Amino acid sequence: MKEMINVALPKGRLGDRVYEMFAKAGYRCEELENPGRRLTFENPEVGIRYFWVKPSDVAIYVEKGAADIGVAGKDILLEYRPDVYELLDTGLGKCRMAVAAPKSFRDDPRKTLRVATKFPSVAKGHYSSAGREIEIIKLNGSIELAPILGLSDVIVDIVETGSTLRQNNLEVVETLFEISARLIANKSSYRFKGGSINLIKSGLNAAKGEIR
Amino acid sequence: MKTPQDELNSALSEIFERAGYRRYKMSKFEEYDLYARHKDFLISENVLTFTDLDGKLMALKPDVTLSIVKNSDGQQLRKVYYRENVYRAEKGSLGFREISQAGLECIGAVDEYSVCEVLSLAAKSLSAIGPRCELAVSHLGILCGLLSGAGLSSPAVGEAVGLFGDKNRDGLAALLEREGADREAAERVIGLSELEENAADAPKKLTALLRGFVADEMLDRFCNTCRFLGKEFGERVRVDFSVVGDLGYYSGIIFKGFIDGIPASVLSGGQYDGLMKKLNRHSRAIGFAIYLDLLEPILEIGEDFDADALLVYSQTDSAEAIYEAAKKLSEGGRSVAVLPKIPEDGRFREIFRLDRKGGVILERND
Repeated sequence: MKEMINVALPKGRLGDRVYEMFAKAGYRCEELENPGRRLTFENPEVGIRYFWVKPSDVAIYVEKGAADIGVAGKDILLEYRPDVYELLDTGLGKCRMAVAAPKSFRDDPRKTLRVATKFPSVAKGHYSSAGREIEIIKLNGSIELAPILGLSDVIVDIVETGSTLRQNNLEVVETLFEISARLIANKSSYRFKGGSINLIKSGLNAAKGEIR
Repeated sequence: MKTPQDELNSALSEIFERAGYRRYKMSKFEEYDLYARHKDFLISENVLTFTDLDGKLMALKPDVTLSIVKNSDGQQLRKVYYRENVYRAEKGSLGFREISQAGLECIGAVDEYSVCEVLSLAAKSLSAIGPRCELAVSHLGILCGLLSGAGLSSPAVGEAVGLFGDKNRDGLAALLEREGADREAAERVIGLSELEENAADAPKKLTALLRGFVADEMLDRFCNTCRFLGKEFGERVRVDFSVVGDLGYYSGIIFKGFIDGIPASVLSGGQYDGLMKKLNRHSRAIGFAIYLDLLEPILEIGEDFDADALLVYSQTDSAEAIYEAAKKLSEGGRSVAVLPKIPEDGRFREIFRLDRKGGVILERND
């Protein structure tokens, strides 16, 4: 029987495109395309088993070995720093991590800067390297609302096109890093299933140009 | 009755003792200052502290190596092994844990033989834990030498080492371009990041890739070590430069051990000459630790019984009769639980009751 590789896919629009890339790389799975009520989907012929998880949980599934490989955003990898291999930049889900603020905002270094974010480690790392005193306000969604209602001075968040920011009279003050979806692997799985994992990596690398 | 954990502990002790390593027992406590000064060497920065009766800030040991090095003068070659509990909060956990750890340290005039010996003991330890295992070996001196030679600045070398650790080829290529490394040097660095070879075949590839670009003596020594490991352990030892560590503490050979079925590395070690320097010890050192708590999933007991036999008695039975019956049942090594009634959630191979004459009656046989 062919060695099975467990793949954690991120739920949502990005996940659909990631699966499309796997399918183009030769790892199609009919069960996943007609899901019914199943939670895991496999194609034993090519040795692959998929399951959908929350995008922020992909790295945990891979680090803990429940999945051999997965696809996670660079934002998640930098926030949680999981002990995994980062094998390939898929080029999907491109966006950037940025500091944004109301257009009228002027930073006053005499005051503690209030930063609202879903990514407290990233924000803390950025401002501590600059020696800036900050207060982190951890939110789980609707980050743009925080400076509008005076909850924070700035936000640290993912910016894709910037249209949500513009509609709310906010603007990017600083870009921290570029983000895209990365193929990650569990370090122990890579030792014992490295041949199959590297075949998938090569297939995905070849399929990169075909997914828009 | 020996548990699989006990058997593994005995097997590891035997491996270490047969190589002449002596058991090193230590106190659970250490002055906190030692860990505060060397936080980067620790797996976790979180240390459990308390104030001793004389006002000193103490810590429950989060690490064993620092204490052993602190208590070694480094003058003569010292070979010790340990099995201790350490206390730390792992990344992402919400509390401290007691973690069982075994390992060994070789401190003093560490030479090429000592390095081979420690690596072979690491490989033998892994084989004792599980049949499908792999020891991944790398060399920080070679890696840093190549990166510096490619024109990378000191901070960029640190960043590149991290990217090697992540097997992040795309990130490494971008960094080399940003740092202005020439094409040939960049290809050499990328080539080393992609090298994954069994120890026997690695020297040929390493020599082809690195000869003339890192110190000859360092490369030759590493290749000799690889040849030895390849001959002794075959496919179980592989050369892979994704094994990295803190550059301030580790230098030279560094390694990690993996067992199929366990998601993280179960063994970690290397030459920590940098730590020796920071502790003002003018000698070298190499060692490794095995994280025994990670092994629980593969060491679970297959048969899930509370005891081989349960002896049920009534309040009218005399203590002496109960004791004698239990003693008789336990002859031959059988474990016997003695209770006044059968517990609802209990599991036993056989259940006995005392008869009126002090004998036992088999009531149930699972």
